[in-house]
Amino acid sequence: MKCLLIASESAEVLFHWTDPDFQQSIQEQYGSSQEEGQGLPAFEDSISTLFAPIVISCSTMMDRLGDGYTSFTAENNHLYILHQVDECVYIAVNGDGEEGEDDLRRKIYVMKKLIEVLFGMVTLSSPLLRKELRPQDTERRARLWKHLQGLLDTYCRLRDSDQSFLVEAVERLIHPTLCEQCIEFLERRLVQQLNSSAERAGEEVLHAFILVHTKLLAFYSSRSASALSTSDLLTLIVMAQNMYPSSADLDDPGPEDIDSTSGSGQESYYTPEPSPTDNDSSDSDKPLIGGTPVFEFIDPDVQMAEDSLQTLEVPPPDPSTPCRVFLEVSGKDGLYPMMPHSLYCLPLWPGITLVLLAKVPTSAVAMSVYTFLEAFAKLEKRLHEGHEGSAATRGQLSVHELRHKLDKFIKALAQSEIQTAHLQNVWTEFKNRAFAKGGPGLSKGLIGWCKNMKTQLCGIYRQCFLIESGSAHVPRHLSSALQERAQTMVQDTLMDWKDFLLVKSKRNITMVSYLEDFPGLIHFICVDRSTGQMIAPSLSITERTTSELGKGPVAQFIKSKVWSLVNTTRHYLRKGYSTVTLRDGDFYFCYFLWFENETGYKLDAGEIPILPDDSAPIGMLAWNYYRKLLRYYSKNHQGEVVKCYELLTVHLGVIPTEIILQHCRQLASKLWEPSRNPLL
Amino acid sequence: MAELMTPDSRRCSYFFLYDGSKVKGEGDPTRDGICYFYPEETPLDRQELLCGQLAGVGRCVSEVSSSPVRALRLRHNKYAIRMEDDFFWALGCSVEVPTVSVCELLDQLINLFCFYNGPVRQSYQLNGREPLAARWAQYLSHLQSGSSELQHIFSCVRTMDSTNVDPLLLLKAALILQACQRCPLVLAGCILFRGRVVSTQMSPELTMKVMVHESETYATSHIPSGPGSSSSVAPSVSSTTVFLTLSELQDLQAAPVDKPFSSRSTPHKDAPMKKTRLSRTLSDMASTESDTSDPASDQAPQKTSFAPCLSESESSMFSPSASQSSTDPSNPPPHSPKPNSQQAEEAALDESHYHSFHSDADGGGPVCGEEDRSARGPGSQLKDGDPDAVCETALDREAETGKEESSSGGGSEEEVGGSAVGPEAERGPAPGSGAPVDPAGAPLIPMTLYLHRVKSLVLALLVQPHFLSDTASVEEVYHSSLASLNGLEAHLRSIPPRVPGAPGPYLFAHFDRIQGTLTTNLSGRPGGAPQHPFVRATSLLHSHFCNTETLQEAIIRSAGAAVYGTSSVAQETYFQQHGGSLRNSGIPNHQDSAFSLPSKARHRLLKHGVNLL
Repeated sequence: MKCLLIASESAEVLFHWTDPDFQQSIQEQYGSSQEEGQGLPAFEDSISTLFAPIVISCSTMMDRLGDGYTSFTAENNHLYILHQVDECVYIAVNGDGEEGEDDLRRKIYVMKKLIEVLFGMVTLSSPLLRKELRPQDTERRARLWKHLQGLLDTYCRLRDSDQSFLVEAVERLIHPTLCEQCIEFLERRLVQQLNSSAERAGEEVLHAFILVHTKLLAFYSSRSASALSTSDLLTLIVMAQNMYPSSADLDDPGPEDIDSTSGSGQESYYTPEPSPTDNDSSDSDKPLIGGTPVFEFIDPDVQMAEDSLQTLEVPPPDPSTPCRVFLEVSGKDGLYPMMPHSLYCLPLWPGITLVLLAKVPTSAVAMSVYTFLEAFAKLEKRLHEGHEGSAATRGQLSVHELRHKLDKFIKALAQSEIQTAHLQNVWTEFKNRAFAKGGPGLSKGLIGWCKNMKTQLCGIYRQCFLIESGSAHVPRHLSSALQERAQTMVQDTLMDWKDFLLVKSKRNITMVSYLEDFPGLIHFICVDRSTGQMIAPSLSITERTTSELGKGPVAQFIKSKVWSLVNTTRHYLRKGYSTVTLRDGDFYFCYFLWFENETGYKLDAGEIPILPDDSAPIGMLAWNYYRKLLRYYSKNHQGEVVKCYELLTVHLGVIPTEIILQHCRQLASKLWEPSRNPLL
Repeated sequence: MAELMTPDSRRCSYFFLYDGSKVKGEGDPTRDGICYFYPEETPLDRQELLCGQLAGVGRCVSEVSSSPVRALRLRHNKYAIRMEDDFFWALGCSVEVPTVSVCELLDQLINLFCFYNGPVRQSYQLNGREPLAARWAQYLSHLQSGSSELQHIFSCVRTMDSTNVDPLLLLKAALILQACQRCPLVLAGCILFRGRVVSTQMSPELTMKVMVHESETYATSHIPSGPGSSSSVAPSVSSTTVFLTLSELQDLQAAPVDKPFSSRSTPHKDAPMKKTRLSRTLSDMASTESDTSDPASDQAPQKTSFAPCLSESESSMFSPSASQSSTDPSNPPPHSPKPNSQQAEEAALDESHYHSFHSDADGGGPVCGEEDRSARGPGSQLKDGDPDAVCETALDREAETGKEESSSGGGSEEEVGGSAVGPEAERGPAPGSGAPVDPAGAPLIPMTLYLHRVKSLVLALLVQPHFLSDTASVEEVYHSSLASLNGLEAHLRSIPPRVPGAPGPYLFAHFDRIQGTLTTNLSGRPGGAPQHPFVRATSLLHSHFCNTETLQEAIIRSAGAAVYGTSSVAQETYFQQHGGSLRNSGIPNHQDSAFSLPSKARHRLLKHGVNLL
């Protein structure tokens, strides 16, 4: 019994994801009075009725006590996790014991991350996001929710089956020669050719990588690109897997099966197929493409965005339309979150995918919008704190500079097709209040206008990057011919390796190679947190394949132990414990986290911050805990490159502890030898 | 209670009982439903806010999950919740306290209320809110009085400092209790000294409940409150009605010795006793005689002969029935063969060690049977040389003259006890038919708590309700124990307060899960800076042990401290070594001092009577 719900503060359902059990239990409670064929609205109504008191109590508690709910437990061990973001409440429920508190909180954060990647800075404005997540048009809403549900299903499947998603780090295929050849190919031939083609419509391919199932075969970033963060890379893998699910993982009832039992008979289901010609990839865009003009504007703040949509029509789904994703970019002048990119997932063979990430030509607008948003947010904060006048702008973009830049920005926008009337109106009003002689100046009265400006800026951003502009005929992305060419080129190159790669991805490294040196060792996972990469012997247990642990209950048991060990160690890490050893049943588990400098010199174990129970989950996918940890630790190691590693081992309990610790030490030093090639 | 409650040592920040049945209509104000709110000085609108919101959310969640809510957590507080027919309890603690502990505390609180007042709904029908509010306040302050942070984690019975008390005094206390049990109307008892347990025959949970009344009467200087009343026997005796759950009553009535003894062909002296029961009494011992007709067990008949022998040689010092059992014709001759008598002494000592919480009383810690032999020495010394004891015996015998009906052998006594209790349970409201029902849905059976105070010493006995009307029994119990209690009190009072020695270069906490006792070298005051990491680690590990049954051992290390924890069905032990180089790189290293903690703990804790082998 699982459920994830996003609701606005007024208890309007903005998104829900439920498994059949949960739906059934809700429907049982409400009886079968609802008519057939009304599945979705009826279910949505009942879920909204059920959760409304909780959501409303959340905001009441927040308003009156300044303390919000974080979790509920029922006597039958049903677990509820709550998380408030701006004006939205996320609630994740588990009633089957398969997910713990951390899993649920992680799911919420992953959902949040997925929404950020799909909607970018629109997420910074609650009213806009609310409209984005809950389109007025039921069909569009159903389609969008289906897509998000699919992504969440894919994530859950990966989290439960894939070790790299368990520890939230990328796993590479261990084959140095092939890997190198591929990188060279991507660099010298593919990306170069794409970026020099006239058919790229102003886009520039920044990153290209090849995925074999969830594992990375080769990754190339062009020189002008900033590094792709692990968090974004993992999210992209989830999206790629959602479009082209690995066939091997489909033995199990996939997300499609679950959906089809939802009782909403009239809907066609989102069933991704490994073909570029189906409309999956565009599916994700469709809800974003044509904002239909049915909005009812209650909120005057948001008015501008709607007008601009009046004339838009839904373009026909185009299979070659890329997915718009918003990723973090670290420029010379700082970090820019949520910068627009185009994501192309090109299936090579079932299980093998080429992923291209291109920069959109207008991305400079996004940077400006972000700069302005930040400036207004800071101004608002200072005003809130009671600073007025010039004190309100200390330590940031000066108000006059802001004024000058924003004037210029609006002028430039006006020349494009972007509708700026509302932004202009609000900005003029803002200027009148802030700068007019004899006016109130920079005072508390401006707080509302700061908010309004932020909403308008988010609206501009939405127009630029979430909605295809009216001139749909002008190509805005790599042409389909160009995409096909890229696909063929890589296919030709990898043809001979295809089968090898598919097998290799299931048997990347195997425990057999370690048994002789490490008797009694059952499993290990080693993670380099500075690069976000991990190594672990394969542990895939499906109906057809057997792992080295065999099939059936024993393998399943060990797998479940590994999964719970990771959760346990995270729990201790959250409380500041970086070394944990556990004797549990017939097993002995070890966990170590340590720091090294670039030359491999082991640094002293520093103090690790203690986090509250309801803080963001430890990991790299939704929230990069390790980046924060490294930054925290590096404070005492100025001028040194600090690396962070983790090692988990599972041994037989009968092995003497000294031997186990020796094993751990050897593994730790061997696995990441300078060659970066773990012993095989 | 000895310790005063300091504000920051409060375990609980909020507690309330909300009666949803009082707030049914739209217009009903929330305040009508608030039966009790702690802290009482909380502004009413805040009380209403918390009650209204938490109860509302609780109801909503229980609707979605079709199950009552157990815990609600907020960012700064966590609440244990109990929901039962329209009643809604919430107990709020800081988020630092493990959720298991908070829930346990709330259960304790509610159970305490039911123990003294019977079912909640019925109490509120019979009494006004104010007197019951005073009760909640009293129980809450009692439960919060444990001032150390460790006591917030483990709910434990507070016992005498075992290292500071002559084990023979503990033995004596145990024997007083056994003697009282000779009266068939007495179910079980415990002896408390200055709010700490000296010896008990009851489960830790029940002992804790009984202690509340003791501390109450202690605080109000012998004036019993509530439904209690002074006895006609003596002003120092009081009694009150209490309510036991069916399972508690069954535990008390069960004749725990019989089964393990008669069914096992190769009895191993100490193991089964420890596992199966908390206390044994002389009458229990004797009762094995009638039960052990199993011819397959060749050891059992031998065992049965201990009882009279014990009555004669050992407990004649303390037991009122010594003379009678020796004259009882149904008993074997008093002079049994020597090996038997030795074994009997061992058995008696063994058990008294056990249920007076002092398995570690002799420094070395005679937990195992072998070590008990060493404990026999001082025992015989006392028999020979303690003038008090002699004096008591004389008094005891004098007191006994009036009671003839209980002079039959131990075995029949047990039978009488059993049959007396059985019908009572049935005669009382039958389960499920309009009977008072405790929150768990099980019927509550009224019993009587009898208290006999001798200065700071209290003998508390759970007795059948008609015990008080049975003047003969009351007098018998009173007089038979009076002298021994006086003697015990004098001895306990004369014990000098323990000089706190150097705590040693380590910290430890040992929680006995069966007896519910905590042994630690942590000083009681809260918030000791160097101890805090230890308490934090202990709290984390305790939750982990509670949630993962298969977990046996754990070592966790932060930058400042490495703590070792081990757990079994019987105990949980936590250990931290001070000093030493804690600087480490965090990488796996078998020479790391953290990994020698298990062996150090085994070695160091032996002298505290904690055996981790």
